[in-house]
Amino acid sequence: MNNVSMLASIGVAAGEEMAKDEKVILVGEDLATQGSCWGYFTGFADKFGKDRVLNMPLCEQGYSLFSCGAAMMGYKPVVEFMFADFAALGFEAVADVSAKFRYNSGGKNSLPIVWLCPEGAGARSGCQHSQCVESWFANVPGLKIAAPTTPGDVRAFLRAAIEDPDPVLFCFHKAIFGIKEDIPDTLDEVPSLKNAAKIVKPGSDLTVVAYHRALLKCLEAAEQVEKETGKTIEIIDPRVLIPFDKEALYKSVKKTGRLLVSHEAPERGGFGAQIIAYAMEECAGDMKSNPVSVCGKNIPIPWGTLEDYALPSAADIKAGMLKALE
Amino acid sequence: MSFSNEELLDMYSDMVNARVMGEQIIEYIKSGRIAGAIHPSIGQEAISAGVIQAFKKSPVKKNYGTCTHRSQRISIWRMGWKPFVGELLGRSTGVNSGVSGEYHTTDIDGCTIPATGALGGTWGILAGVAWALKQQGRKDEICFAPYGDGAVQEGATYEAMNIATLYKLPILFFVENNQIAMSTPTTQETVLENISDRAAAFNMRGVTVDGNDPIAVCEAIIEGMDLAAKCEPNIVEAKTFRWEGHFIGDPQTYRDLSFRDHLDDIDPIIKYENVLKEQGVIDDRMIVQVHDDERKKVQDIFEGTFNDAPATEEMVMDYNRLYSNDCGGEL
Ligand SMILES: Cc1ncc(C[n+]2csc(CCOP(=O)(O)OP(=O)(O)O)c2C)c(N)n1
Repeated sequence: MNNVSMLASIGVAAGEEMAKDEKVILVGEDLATQGSCWGYFTGFADKFGKDRVLNMPLCEQGYSLFSCGAAMMGYKPVVEFMFADFAALGFEAVADVSAKFRYNSGGKNSLPIVWLCPEGAGARSGCQHSQCVESWFANVPGLKIAAPTTPGDVRAFLRAAIEDPDPVLFCFHKAIFGIKEDIPDTLDEVPSLKNAAKIVKPGSDLTVVAYHRALLKCLEAAEQVEKETGKTIEIIDPRVLIPFDKEALYKSVKKTGRLLVSHEAPERGGFGAQIIAYAMEECAGDMKSNPVSVCGKNIPIPWGTLEDYALPSAADIKAGMLKALE
Repeated sequence: MSFSNEELLDMYSDMVNARVMGEQIIEYIKSGRIAGAIHPSIGQEAISAGVIQAFKKSPVKKNYGTCTHRSQRISIWRMGWKPFVGELLGRSTGVNSGVSGEYHTTDIDGCTIPATGALGGTWGILAGVAWALKQQGRKDEICFAPYGDGAVQEGATYEAMNIATLYKLPILFFVENNQIAMSTPTTQETVLENISDRAAAFNMRGVTVDGNDPIAVCEAIIEGMDLAAKCEPNIVEAKTFRWEGHFIGDPQTYRDLSFRDHLDDIDPIIKYENVLKEQGVIDDRMIVQVHDDERKKVQDIFEGTFNDAPATEEMVMDYNRLYSNDCGGEL
């Protein structure tokens, strides 16, 4: 498939899984009527029927709990929060019900639910339509969290998430819906959520771990820094946060002795802090400089173009890279 | 609706059973043998007896449901004595080896859906279960969704009722109105005299019955189940009264406790005994016998279960209990 956008890749993956397994259903707002607010499920209601594309009234708490009930009876709901921020209203279903169900059942039954979280700023829509939510949920045992960036990865890991028997929070970034690439017509092998990190760009002087829009900004900054300093930077896209691919992190950090993490969610309590903790637990003796984190600021995301003040820019990242390389 | 003598007596022993179990649990808590917040249903025994009889008598043969923190008797009907009491006492013989605890007991094969600790959520979950039953063409199965007068003030219950009626789901919403939620009387929770009036907002049927009369409860539940099986969601509310504190040891400074001087006047068990005596179904000798039998049954199962081993650290920390494959990360 040529020139597939990241947005379209959501539909590609969901369509493939729905064709493969009739237990896969979609649940959310405006899904049957307009293929979701974002349009990636356009035509799905006609193709798969309204019994599998469930158009819900505005009730995130209601339909996310409903999806847990359907999953208890053998369905595999893919549940969309139109904006990831609205997962706040579904928090109980995600964190208290889906994540704990298998444990309470003594390991007998899992809830195979995918919680779709279109997240991040870029649309200039203010503090309650722009947040990245992965860290809200990372503190909940029982959940897996995927956060792929590119169309090919979003397609592959969404399929992995749907096929996984446990609940998976699936975060993807709205501001980069439009990035495009060629992706395979068929996915020969659905990847594992384990060992998912990918070296996007090899290098030997600094390890950068970043995902989503911050990853693209890191690539941009790295190009400049490499030109200016003559150093080379290794950029890792973890693609999945839980389970985190620690081996890939250790291997790179042991080689470079330097680490920068970047994501759009606020820095404090963000997943980047966890990544730094992992690295320091294992590689402290290899470090040549202190780890650096260039993440969202610890403020609400302001309205309109003011949001740029709250987010890590390529310039911020470049400065962070130079600091890490000192 | 007619009831055989056997059914009437069955409800009676269920009521007595719930009463003596409540008393026994209070004793165990006071003597330190039970830890954890257990909420006995003393004074509300007509509800569990009526509900259980309805489950047995209804032509709807199977129902999925949650339990509440105040429905030990119904939990036992669903799961069996040992699996439930083991769970309540945190013993490895519990249905979830004592790890999930009383309110979150999870047994899909046994039609027990776990209740959410944050009240309000379970009706939404049961709407999803009901959708699945309908989707799978399981015509003689429904969901039974119980809650208290406090829990139904949560907005999540409205969303669940809305979804249930939109999708015409086989579900019966049951409100056990004991006129208080922790310390807050129902008059401070809602302006409605009858919570079942909320049904009108969703174009459902709603009825309110005397929750201290097991026959009235049973009849209303059977009717509600019939409707639910026709994919007509509906509400049954049963009004009763909580005698004890919210939890054992609750000083209850928030209410006038003078009703406790006249408990015989409001006791649903005594009221029902009089009905059965009038019909010649029971006499004083049988009453004593039933109390003795039920007390012994409760004591035997609790004493036996106290001796069961608690869950081990290995069971608590069992990775496979939490994740289905090796993609969960470390514990
Ligand atoms: C969301 C939420 N808020 C508060 C509580 C604390 N709580 C536990 S039981 C209870 C009272 C519930 O009253 P009701 O539903 O009438 O049941 P009852 O205890 O009277 O049987 C409260 C407030 C809770 N568990 N969940």
